[in-house]
Amino acid sequence: MRHSGIFLLFLCKNLGMNYFEQLKKLYDNQDDFLHREIAGGKKVHVVSLDTMCDGTKTCQFVLQPLAYLKDVQSADNLLQQLLIGANAKEEPNFDCVVQDFLNGYTLVFVEGEDACISVDTRIALGRSVAEPPTSMVMRGPREGFVEDIKSNITLLRKRLKTPKLKFVNISIGNYTNTAVSVCYLQDVADKTLVQNVVQRLQSVSIDGILDSSYLARYLDVENTFLFRRVGTTEKPDIVVGKMLEGRIAVLVDGSPMVLTLPYLYIEDLQSPGDYYENSVMTGVNRVLRFVSVVASVLLPSLFVCLQMYNYQIIPLKFLITVLNATQSIPFSPLSEMLMVIIIFDILREANLRMPSAVGITLSLVGAIVLGDAAVNAGLIGAPAVMIGALSGIGLFAMPDNTLILSLLRLTITFIGGIMGIMGVMLSILLVMFYLASLETYKTPFLAPFAPDISNDRQDAVFQKGLPDQKKRPRSIPHGNDTRRGA
Amino acid sequence: MNKNKVNVSQLSLLLLLVITGGKFLSLPSILAKDVGHDSWLVLCVAFLWDAVGLCFVLWAVKLNKNRLGLDDILNVTLSRLGSKLVLAIFFVMFMCRILVLLDSCYNTFAVTFDVNTNWVLFMLPIVAVGAFAISRGFNSVARTAQILFAVIFLSIVALLVYPLTQAKFSQLLPVGEAGLGKIVGTAFVRSFWFSDYVFIYFVLEDIKPQKHLFAPMLSSFTVGVVFTVLLNAVFVALFGSVAQYGNIAMSKIGMFSVAESTDGRWDWITLSVWLTSVVIKIVIFIFCAYKCVEKIFALHFGKANYLVLVAMAAILLVPMFVPVNVFLNSFVRWCLVPFAVVQYLLPLCMPIFTKIANGKQMQT
Repeated sequence: MRHSGIFLLFLCKNLGMNYFEQLKKLYDNQDDFLHREIAGGKKVHVVSLDTMCDGTKTCQFVLQPLAYLKDVQSADNLLQQLLIGANAKEEPNFDCVVQDFLNGYTLVFVEGEDACISVDTRIALGRSVAEPPTSMVMRGPREGFVEDIKSNITLLRKRLKTPKLKFVNISIGNYTNTAVSVCYLQDVADKTLVQNVVQRLQSVSIDGILDSSYLARYLDVENTFLFRRVGTTEKPDIVVGKMLEGRIAVLVDGSPMVLTLPYLYIEDLQSPGDYYENSVMTGVNRVLRFVSVVASVLLPSLFVCLQMYNYQIIPLKFLITVLNATQSIPFSPLSEMLMVIIIFDILREANLRMPSAVGITLSLVGAIVLGDAAVNAGLIGAPAVMIGALSGIGLFAMPDNTLILSLLRLTITFIGGIMGIMGVMLSILLVMFYLASLETYKTPFLAPFAPDISNDRQDAVFQKGLPDQKKRPRSIPHGNDTRRGA
Repeated sequence: MNKNKVNVSQLSLLLLLVITGGKFLSLPSILAKDVGHDSWLVLCVAFLWDAVGLCFVLWAVKLNKNRLGLDDILNVTLSRLGSKLVLAIFFVMFMCRILVLLDSCYNTFAVTFDVNTNWVLFMLPIVAVGAFAISRGFNSVARTAQILFAVIFLSIVALLVYPLTQAKFSQLLPVGEAGLGKIVGTAFVRSFWFSDYVFIYFVLEDIKPQKHLFAPMLSSFTVGVVFTVLLNAVFVALFGSVAQYGNIAMSKIGMFSVAESTDGRWDWITLSVWLTSVVIKIVIFIFCAYKCVEKIFALHFGKANYLVLVAMAAILLVPMFVPVNVFLNSFVRWCLVPFAVVQYLLPLCMPIFTKIANGKQMQT
């Protein structure tokens, strides 16, 4: 399809057709292709795509001025005197002409000239800026990114009023031609890192980009199959904060999720609200998140191993309670726990896909009917349900990693059930070795703890007061070490 | 990116973990059997030798300006054949150590935790973890040690605190009853259990040059020594003359950490955490043995070579045919002198060897 288009262009050029004729040929049978011919000296052709243009803007910026047209000399002359659109430019390249046309620009051709004037008459579609549902905060800005890249850039520019804020624009996707913008702070971001990211994006060959998550997979140098390696956020204040630390942001048209990189594992512990709270409370919250995640992943496996192999570790009174609750269960502790975890995961997945009104019913059915009935029927023990539920809830302390952590929980529980404590221990070591070995864009994934970078611990788990955070994180390559007075 | 790169702080933490990991399993009872309540003195003597050896190795690291590997240095100074011979001794030594450590872990799990697993099913997952670590690079082990260090160290402290208050240190008196000759002799006979710092040889070319080398390394060595000697002394002070029959020392000490048996054996959790350091030590030795093969055959495997790893796993099947204590008292005793050469003589020569090799490298 694409090749036939290129062939057509090649043919048009060789037949001596000008840009207008070539464009007309490409969109000849399309209903939304609008063409108006205005005579005044030389002939002027006004061309637009009805479905992508705002008719009022076309009238106001192009047709009305052209009504006063008396004697057209050239496209330059037209641009200087008549067109009053805020974004009007002369486009000498046919590829750019087609791109502008597809984006909703109105094109003005002067007969006998190849170049054309493109006037921004794009239709404003999409939702307005609102609080993102994935990262709600008690305090702090509530604005969130939207699907329109231009609005997203505006949200960043609004916060970073400096000429050092730079954008590198790339178009990706053979069919979608999605606008992608690499955004960074000059002098703060590392130049090599910027080049590296831009080169990676330029080398992407794909039919279409429908969301920034498509690009995240290309930006993950090590093709990590477990943990995510590129940060995502819907909040402009978070992106700005990260850019001030030397990171790079990648904005994709059509996606409210902005990518940030390099990415550290510790970022999963940090929440958008952390920076607007008291630093002591932030530290406590982060510890709580960490403990809940570790407990969520390990609790089911430890419960299974202790029940199956090392019950001596459990205090006697607790052991008696567990034994009383589980003595009539027909399954082994391992199958019992796996069942609870899988049911919980099914409920979570179903709940995500259900309309919100049905979701509440589903939660009730899941919690009361399934859980209570299973316990009463003697299929699952109450302690297993409690541990499974506790662990399931704890996973949401790191909402972006719930699926990965759930998978880990399931795997470690299975290994623990077969190999006992040693299996759990080896699984933890395996995961640690894996995480510790990850390093992209010269940034170790487990920094600032492994390797230990004391400066970066200022905002790792416990947060130093803002006035004391004088240096940028060293684990992230950057061009300027000092945060203040630089 | 060099996947084996390691910095001084990581190296010092690894040193601390390998010193403390593995010495609280069967060694205390072996030493108690050899010299009675003076076993802690044997440890002191052995660690004194280790301290000298470590200083010389660190000196060699300082002198190694061109970041040469052990094989590069030995090829220049001892000829290719000599180099291969030394590396072969190292390989045998590491395999023996892996075997003994695995057996101790196996006993801990089988005896203490009542998990009667088959040897193959026990050994293979640990070797698999070692293989995974090799494929990810030594750096991943060093970084993991950095993260787990605090937890492991806390587990040792937790296991030690309560028994420390109950230990009758009068059991250690009179000091030196076994006689200096026997103590020094035992330290040599049991030298196989010491000189854990030799793993540094195999990351010689990967140590990031840093200003401070001796201070952090010797500090962590000292802390490791203090804890090992203290734990050994507490073990003997708690069990007195029956210490020689208590095979897994850490597990036996842990019993004293629990006030009431109805509270549950929570010490097993801390014991498991501490056992992580033993597994890390095994992984490091697997890495070193693997490196020996690489260097002996002058090959460089991009990722983990499964043929080599399978061969190593096959060697580790020995306990299925020969009990490890028999193996220790026969094969390891025969190899005592060659092992002592690489453990104690080679470190003393390393600074000179390194200087010569670096000098020749500069000339070429």
